Amino acid sequence: MIIHTANLNLYYHKFQALKNVNVAIKRNLITGVIGPSGCGKSTLLRVFNRMNDLIEGIRITGSVLIDNDDIYSPMNDLILLRKKVGMVFQRPNAFPLSIFDNVAYGPRVWNISDKATLNEIVERSLLAVDLFDDLKDRLSDSALGLSAEKQQRLCIARLLAVEPEILLMDEPCSALDPIATGKIEELMIELKRKYTIVIVTHNMQQAARIADEVGFMLLGELVEFDTAKAIFTNPRDKRTFDYISGRFG
Amino acid sequence: MDRHFDEELQNVKKKLMDMAAMVEESITKSLNALRNKDLKMANEIRELDHKIDLMEIAVEDMCVELIARHQPVGSDLRFLVGAIKMNNDLERMGDHAVNIADCIKYVIEASAIGQIMNIWAMAKIVTEMLRDSVQSFIDNDAPRAQKVCERDSAVDRMRDETIRILLTHMLEEPEIIGSAIQYMLVAKNLERIADLSTNICEDVIYITQARVIKHHAENKKA
Repeated sequence: MIIHTANLNLYYHKFQALKNVNVAIKRNLITGVIGPSGCGKSTLLRVFNRMNDLIEGIRITGSVLIDNDDIYSPMNDLILLRKKVGMVFQRPNAFPLSIFDNVAYGPRVWNISDKATLNEIVERSLLAVDLFDDLKDRLSDSALGLSAEKQQRLCIARLLAVEPEILLMDEPCSALDPIATGKIEELMIELKRKYTIVIVTHNMQQAARIADEVGFMLLGELVEFDTAKAIFTNPRDKRTFDYISGRFG
Repeated sequence: MDRHFDEELQNVKKKLMDMAAMVEESITKSLNALRNKDLKMANEIRELDHKIDLMEIAVEDMCVELIARHQPVGSDLRFLVGAIKMNNDLERMGDHAVNIADCIKYVIEASAIGQIMNIWAMAKIVTEMLRDSVQSFIDNDAPRAQKVCERDSAVDRMRDETIRILLTHMLEEPEIIGSAIQYMLVAKNLERIADLSTNICEDVIYITQARVIKHHAENKKA
């Protein structure tokens, strides 16, 4: 297990967004989190790299262990956590910088300034997302000129540049067309060889296609967590079946 | 764009090919065992059939999972539907090989009967039909599949002829009735294997050309 939560509760003031969530996420798998809008799936994802910390009135109880370290312990190094656990968002958020500088941004934050090393990191990261051959002759061009799909790939490359272990993806294809979505999905399947991926998606078919394990959330509760095969062929909970068969949500 | 799903479809195809090879081995062995009255080989066929049964479950499981997770359409959907049917047909063929093997014990015990040449001629055609049906599936070869279907009625005629010959023998020599009935069962099982090969070929035509030829459906539509 790379991520492990025990009795995790999260409150926004008096509203309880996560209810006693116990989940164990395995290394080098794609874990999908599905559920209707407002069920807490993005909140859960953001717990894994403490993205909720700055939201006013937030309170978390229970524990979240990543590689057996309690990430909410006061001793935990947040900068190190963010390096280890990167996040890809709904809309590609490339920086208004060159393609090269986007990818080199993280390593520079980690005080890598040697040009040869940065070149090597940028090349390796862009190769991993299958962008290098396309972009190698225009690395100094603005990243904002790329298509949405390529910008999303670039954002993933930017994460890979700091050598994370876990990639959190919050609806990473919702701004993309079906062909671009297919390409990002294939990329995710490639990336799971080296990384652990947790993806939140309202697109149930996407979770069915690419996830190895799937959690179904409803009203802040993790209703069911199992292999994708079990969830989509024989869900144990009627609420899961009702959701995946389109009866609600 | 290479899809991960395509890889999974190929895995189903590969598993079916492995299963078909086992079924072919089982049928060939059962006929050799009958020819040589080899009871030891008959037991091997039962063991082989157990493996075929397990493969059937595995292939069905793979197909159900792929349908549930990928919601296939078009040729992908036809392939998976065809694969489920072919899987079932192959498993049934394995059962027919066991049925043939089961006859051996009674043939040994009963009074000897002269060589029933028709059985071996029939067996030759049936094994060729099976081989061609599997090959047409491997190569997505609809014309080849169509030719296999056309041979089915020849096997039906051979079965009828075999039964007629055996009945004549039974009337003339009642002491060979026990053996003759076993050979009739063999003929019946061979004929069913030919039917199932035909089913596979109908599935190949459905998968590759989206045409339904079974039960003369195209003629009825017209």
